[in-house]
Amino acid sequence: MMAEQQKAEEISLQWIKGQLDNFADLEDRQLTAPAGSVKLLYVKSITDPQIINRSIIAPFYEMNDPAAYKEYLAHYPGSEAVKDSKQVLDLMLGGYACVEVEQRFIFFDALKAETSSVSQTMTESITQGPSDALTENLAVNLNLIRRRYQSAELKMESMLIGNISRTKAAILYDDSRVNHQVLDELRERLSTLRVDILQAAGELEKYINSDKVRIFPKTIVTERPDRVVFNLAEGKIAVMLDTTGFAIVLPVIFNDFFVAMDDKIQLPFVGRFLKLLRILGVAMTLWLPALYVAFTSYNPEIVRVQIALLIAGSRATVPYPSFVEVLIMLVMMEFLTEASLRLPRAIGPTATTVGGLILGQAATAAGLVGNIMIILVSVVAISNFMIPLNMMSFSIRVLKYLFVIAAAAVGLVGVVVCLVGFTMYLCSQRSFGQPYFKMFALDRLGSSGTQKGGRS
Amino acid sequence: MNQSRYVYWMFLMNSLLNILNFVPRELLDARFRGAQTSILVAAVLGTAFLSVFTILIAKFPGKSIQDILETALPKGLIIPLIIMFASLWCVAGLITILSFVDITMRFVSPDTGPGIVIISFLVLVCFCARMDSLSVLYGMEMLLAIILPLILYAIIKALVNPDFSWDSVLQIMTYSAHAPDLKSIAAATFSFSGYFNLAIFNRVLPKMKMKHSWVYAVNGLAVLLLTFYVPIGYFGTIGVEKHVYTWFSTADSIRIDTFLIERMLFIFYFAYLTLSLVSVTVHWHVGKELLTGLFPRKQAKNRSTGWQELAILGMFSGITLILMRLDQYQLNEFGVVFLYARWFGELLMIMLLCYCYAVAYRRRNP
Repeated sequence: MMAEQQKAEEISLQWIKGQLDNFADLEDRQLTAPAGSVKLLYVKSITDPQIINRSIIAPFYEMNDPAAYKEYLAHYPGSEAVKDSKQVLDLMLGGYACVEVEQRFIFFDALKAETSSVSQTMTESITQGPSDALTENLAVNLNLIRRRYQSAELKMESMLIGNISRTKAAILYDDSRVNHQVLDELRERLSTLRVDILQAAGELEKYINSDKVRIFPKTIVTERPDRVVFNLAEGKIAVMLDTTGFAIVLPVIFNDFFVAMDDKIQLPFVGRFLKLLRILGVAMTLWLPALYVAFTSYNPEIVRVQIALLIAGSRATVPYPSFVEVLIMLVMMEFLTEASLRLPRAIGPTATTVGGLILGQAATAAGLVGNIMIILVSVVAISNFMIPLNMMSFSIRVLKYLFVIAAAAVGLVGVVVCLVGFTMYLCSQRSFGQPYFKMFALDRLGSSGTQKGGRS
Repeated sequence: MNQSRYVYWMFLMNSLLNILNFVPRELLDARFRGAQTSILVAAVLGTAFLSVFTILIAKFPGKSIQDILETALPKGLIIPLIIMFASLWCVAGLITILSFVDITMRFVSPDTGPGIVIISFLVLVCFCARMDSLSVLYGMEMLLAIILPLILYAIIKALVNPDFSWDSVLQIMTYSAHAPDLKSIAAATFSFSGYFNLAIFNRVLPKMKMKHSWVYAVNGLAVLLLTFYVPIGYFGTIGVEKHVYTWFSTADSIRIDTFLIERMLFIFYFAYLTLSLVSVTVHWHVGKELLTGLFPRKQAKNRSTGWQELAILGMFSGITLILMRLDQYQLNEFGVVFLYARWFGELLMIMLLCYCYAVAYRRRNP
């Protein structure tokens, strides 16, 4: 077999059939017309019978001239004449039909891709603006992008990833705006990637990031073609995969995760305000539980005396220290969120009602948690979901426990130490060699406003 | 603008931090004996030091102090010099940590043990100081952006307070016609010595230039004057000497009428805790980089350099834990000795730089 692979001449229908042994859906046909005959071989399940009929079989009988037919096939867009036996199998499994005409093999593209059509966005909804989502078909996705980005600078490179899944991946970038260092690094990481199965964009994101222990996402995984286009215009690179409705955008900075696509549709002040709200939301969700612990257990003197008394009053019946109370309620809330995510649509509202209303009410009435705690937990939960991109919102969700633990250990000092550590850690992160978090605004001051793409 | 701004942040960090350290106490002790002329002299000297050092080190773009010294001095001389400088940075960081632990114990959480507070500080600082130099700079800038508004708010709030006694300030001004004394000058120049961190950070700021030195002079002078006058305005010309952490007592005297937090102390504490943690990180980062530079260089950052860093930072932390046994008076004396040592260290470093530059200059145009 090794010998066969090395010698190009030895590709024959017999050999291909041997390789595709036990393929119940393999079609092997001989077409015979008065002027001659051709052999046709394809895998039925991934080829389109319409294409086979209309473009391969019908012309053969109509032309009735093998030489002309050969020319026709060889020059048909999408057909290939291959010499390498490895590639032959790739093509056959990728939905090509093999036609043997006059001792020549021609591979004819007849792929049938079963995908859902362009649908509405599910995970990143916005109020105004386009609502197309990327689909699971790479060609459709490219169409969605190219239509929105009509520039000759938009380059695309394609490659196959995964030994078994042979997933098609496309790297898209704007040649005049992209950082070529990042591009080279991405190419290198993709080409050294060794996996068997690649099915989701998130998976690829995990493989191409170098550091193993990390809490923040270093690439945006998005399903919005307009976000991809917006980021391409900013000089970023998009990686799109066939069979998944998500694209990966890189390199990113921390701020990118707080941009919703309708910020630019809003009036400038409104857009800024919305972004500020989101950042405030992150601060709240990170700090509120920790500050509650610090203020009740360590430093009640910090807040106004009325507030301190109010909190103490609401905690009068609570039989354990504040951090236990906070942890119990936060974990409860996580259960609720997780459960309502997994439940079938019909039961979802029941879970939230039972959990939110009844448990919350009953818990305070029983004196297990203070009233203020319930308010706080709902604020934390709601503000957590203000982050437009899911990956980041999950990271923040996990991180708040770190703050609670620090506050439980050393009070206010712990919260401040955590804040400094959190900021420094963010600053030490790099996304494909580019800084992840710093005062980008000050960098732009010096270089006199080269407006690229569409900064919000 | 792009890279030179980090020099300004380093300067600003030290200059704001002087409030915390022993600087206000040294100045206030000498308030009837020429503290004010010392401040003026320090502003001039400090700016001069800063400008000379920054201009000289900018002549060696992308080089740390060690690379520069290696061009002109024998190896046997460099090692003790570097160890001396590194110990200066180590002490600068640990004094800040020690005083902040003391402040925390006094003002914020008297019931948490000092052990756990200092350990949480040390863990954070060791974690942050191991990052690469650029990250430390980014982080410093970010955190300064968070706390500067708070500090400005505190200062403005302090100045517009109707109970601020301008009479005391005017009275103390009548004592300004005195010869400056060395101790106060040494203390006051601390406010300007943030540039000293460039010894390492110059390596990552190749495009750094020294511009607008008057900004540094004005800013440094303003901070020093505020450091000196505001406590006097609150506690009076005599009462001011009764406080150990003068500025924290001052902040505790300010009330915010309309906010969730009523005492200015906590806002001030939050800002200064953040600032001092950042400053310790920066100082120890420099100290660590200087010491790791002594080991033979390796191409990539591998496991053994990781251990070296940890060992060095562990040593710094160990010294801090040992020195925690000093009481308030000993710590103060130690701080004053440090203020002197630092000043002479700066002077020595500038002279060394001058010499290296002269050597390099002669080599280029023989």
